[in-house]
Amino acid sequence: MDTDVIDESPRSETDANSATALRAGASAAALLLAACGGGSGGGDLSTGAGTTPPVVASPPVVTPPVVVTPPVVVTPPVVVMPPVIVTPAPTVQEAARFLLQAQFSASDGEIAAVQAQGYPVWLSAQLNAPATRTGWDWLMSRGFNTATFAASTFPADYMVWNQIIASADGVRKRVALAFSEIFVVSSASVPVQSRSFAMAQYWDVLAAGAFGNYRALLEEITLNPAMGVFLNTKGNQKADPATGRAPDENYSREVLQIFSIGLYQLNLDGSNKQGGDGRPVETYDQASISSLAQVFTGYDYDTTGSTRFTNPLEVRNRMKLNASLHATGQADFLGTTIPANTEGTAALRLALDAIFNHANVGPFIGKQLIQRLVTSNPSPAYVARVAGVFNNNGADVRGDLKAVVAAVLLDAEARDAAKLSVPAWGKQREPMLRLVQWARTFGVASPGDAWAVGDLSDPATRLGQSPLRSQSVFNFFRPGYVPPNTSLATQGLTAPEFQLTNESTVAGYLNFMLTTIRAGFNNNNGGLAPPTYTAELALVNDPTALTDRLNLLLCAGQLSAATLATIRTSIATISSATATGALNRVYAAILLAMASPEYLVQK
Amino acid sequence: MWINQSEKIARRAFLRRAGQLGLAGVATPWALNLAAIGEAAAFTATDYKAIVCVFLYGGNDYGNTLVPFDNANYAKYAAIRTGIATPQASLAGTVLAPATPLPGGMQLALAPELAPLKGIFDAGRMAVQLNVGPLIQPTTLAQYNAKSVPLPPKLFSHNDQQSVWQSSLPEGSVLGWGGRMGDLALSNNGKATFTCVSVTGNAVYLAGQSAQAYQVSSGGAVPINGLKNGVYGSAACATALNSLITQASSNYMESAYSQTTQRSITAEGTVTAATSGVTLATPFNTANPLAMQLQMVAKMIAGRSTLDVKRQVFMVSLGGFDTHDFLPQNHPVLLGQVAEALKSFYDATKELGIDDKVTAFTASDFGRTLASNGDGSDHGWGSHHFVLGGAVNGKKYYGTAPAIAVNGADDVGQGRLLPTTSVDQFAATLASWFGVSGSELKLVVPNIVNYSTQNLGFV
Repeated sequence: MDTDVIDESPRSETDANSATALRAGASAAALLLAACGGGSGGGDLSTGAGTTPPVVASPPVVTPPVVVTPPVVVTPPVVVMPPVIVTPAPTVQEAARFLLQAQFSASDGEIAAVQAQGYPVWLSAQLNAPATRTGWDWLMSRGFNTATFAASTFPADYMVWNQIIASADGVRKRVALAFSEIFVVSSASVPVQSRSFAMAQYWDVLAAGAFGNYRALLEEITLNPAMGVFLNTKGNQKADPATGRAPDENYSREVLQIFSIGLYQLNLDGSNKQGGDGRPVETYDQASISSLAQVFTGYDYDTTGSTRFTNPLEVRNRMKLNASLHATGQADFLGTTIPANTEGTAALRLALDAIFNHANVGPFIGKQLIQRLVTSNPSPAYVARVAGVFNNNGADVRGDLKAVVAAVLLDAEARDAAKLSVPAWGKQREPMLRLVQWARTFGVASPGDAWAVGDLSDPATRLGQSPLRSQSVFNFFRPGYVPPNTSLATQGLTAPEFQLTNESTVAGYLNFMLTTIRAGFNNNNGGLAPPTYTAELALVNDPTALTDRLNLLLCAGQLSAATLATIRTSIATISSATATGALNRVYAAILLAMASPEYLVQK
Repeated sequence: MWINQSEKIARRAFLRRAGQLGLAGVATPWALNLAAIGEAAAFTATDYKAIVCVFLYGGNDYGNTLVPFDNANYAKYAAIRTGIATPQASLAGTVLAPATPLPGGMQLALAPELAPLKGIFDAGRMAVQLNVGPLIQPTTLAQYNAKSVPLPPKLFSHNDQQSVWQSSLPEGSVLGWGGRMGDLALSNNGKATFTCVSVTGNAVYLAGQSAQAYQVSSGGAVPINGLKNGVYGSAACATALNSLITQASSNYMESAYSQTTQRSITAEGTVTAATSGVTLATPFNTANPLAMQLQMVAKMIAGRSTLDVKRQVFMVSLGGFDTHDFLPQNHPVLLGQVAEALKSFYDATKELGIDDKVTAFTASDFGRTLASNGDGSDHGWGSHHFVLGGAVNGKKYYGTAPAIAVNGADDVGQGRLLPTTSVDQFAATLASWFGVSGSELKLVVPNIVNYSTQNLGFV
């Protein structure tokens, strides 16, 4: 018999689960960061599609409905239509596949909507839908804004699980989660008062900025207090010649290496440029890092409006500049010079502009979004098409993330059904995404809306991964990770998520799901309630229909006939005559599907 | 029910060697070296030996790990490290008195929190390797500044320098020098799976051509409950689970995932059998994650006959060393955990009567700046590391002590040390003790051919 997962009481932290703690508190004023950036949800994918893309039901790209009599200049907000895939409508499997790339899960209704509307129209509606309740407001509503929780990290875990499991705006939250793996902050390393609120604000910046402009998001992230603590911009001071003290270089280095351009100059298609000596060309040197570090000095909390613990706006307001601590020396980096004595906020603007305009950003960020949402090893042409949209959304806007996300998801390569049988295609589903998919697919609720799920990082007994809990700014895994001793290594292919895959985590995941599918998680203390599986129980006496349903919703129809037969045959041996038996049959069908490598690798 | 993993690995090794001459496109030094040596590359071991890599993730601050103590050098140190200097008085109890003092009257002290290691040093069972780091070849400051010699790629970058330390190549590398030692030792082990064992996350250090890292948790191998106890009461579903999670696939990722699962299932019983009955009198602090990992290593060493191995390479780790901020608060805590864990581990190997067959060493992304940023230090290059075990020629410094300076003779700016000993020399010394012959060292660390001193003598 399997053992139940023991309740998830937060370790070494104040008791999260006391009823009094979870009383509803006054809700804070709505926080909604303006989602900046233009673009109308879709890039022109015809650009850059030089190499014949795999055909998806003849994708004639519908160019903007031009017509206007020349020489009238068409005024910019031309609606840049994504390529419309005309006929036929997506099959249910195709619609589910698209949904599972674009968000966390696929429901019957969503599948039908995608079929009826087509990919671009459905996606456009998601990209233009307003964001739902923020993480900050949720923490406030749960009454976590007291001294008791000021040093606790578990409310941030509850907050983010709530955000990614229970939010209606799944596409926005999915993309925000992807950005949390690029602009990484880990709640394990933000040791300040009201740290969960700091993490909530960080998350809210990502969720608000996910469909804005990259330049705006970069600035919000740079001045975000949680990031300021995590990578030390907060409290960073100018050099002191008397003592030899130098500015902290942490943010200066990582904003370039991880958040924007990477270490080597890239071609549009993501490949390394080669120098005259045939070697890759470095994007910056140590001197540039030291020089740029000056720009990030002088920042600290802005406590405007803050009330300690109860309304901790110091971790929400953008950090502000104290000019007296700011280094005003000339900054030289990336071929840009910021003159000495440039005012601090202007210097920051110039620096971020220079980073934003570096040719690497499109391929560097675009490829990682493809990796997070679609496949670990996109073709260079696919990267180039997405990077091209980053560079210009079709309306002369650079960095339009709506357009970039649309380009990632609507690309012919992403939609090509023939890829399903290509050995190098796909990506491993991240462990946290598997849990979220299960929870959303089966309508998991949390008793009392508490979402007491906590940190699931333990590799032996949990998922080995938990949102916003990377061990370092290098994320849970690296975009260039190659699992040694595999055919992937032989082929020179990356498989980032495999950095988390080992003999312990594969077992830990199966054990975790074995109990969670049946009993939920920490259900007695406000965690995840076990689902009722109503729709599945309705099919329980028809193993074929049951497994087909799970195959569609969980795997977009990607389980093989042999796997389906194995599941069908084995669950049929469990008698469904009793209520318990019927449930066991459903549990087993779900577990077997979610245990299968054909599920674990999303194609 | 399972293909014997050892047989499979041996077969793969054979096929790989057979195919190596055709590997023209893969221009890594190792591939080329391997192509040249073929079947001869292996050594025969009669005894048991283990090497344990203790990786300190984040880049350990060398300046506050081994602190200048003599007045002249302490004064320089204190002047440079504003806000982050360790008080001189707190160092009196951990001043090291090596058999041969350093030139110029320089004295170094262990950080106060490393006090548990001082006894091991004094007993001659711990050595200090000064200023070691990745290099391609011996490099002077003038050569560095002129960029007139090849340098390691992507210096000062965390992920890449972790990879370079472990494998000589940046992120994406798939061959580490621990794994390469495992390759050469593989034929000595009845159960090849347990040649390279990680008690931390995945790391390239333990990946070889044929040897493959096996990962075990601090608490032991994790059984798959559904296989052991049935799936919701159903034996048929347990059988189905078994078949699904190990199924072959033409998709590379599905295949890689199920191979890991197969190893997990196959090895779990053996590891549990080898370790579950082991009781160690030596205490390990359960609140210290590094100690818990090393306890598992000690248990596996204790169970070596069940694991059927004569040569093992282990890896454990502790994170948090990227001390840009709060260095005076956080770094001592981390060092305290390192010292406590290493002391317990060394004591456990003595308890097991195998201390002279087990050598542990520390490693890290890079050293840090000697210069202060107010409350921390930044990414550097060379650093000081420890080697300990019963076979160590301890109570000694190896290498060259760098000047206590910023922009001095030994650093490339802000006290970022230009290494005077290469990781390849450091690794080759360990490899030689492990049993790797002189001619095979280049298979473990390719750039060793650029050094006349290939054995530093610390073990």
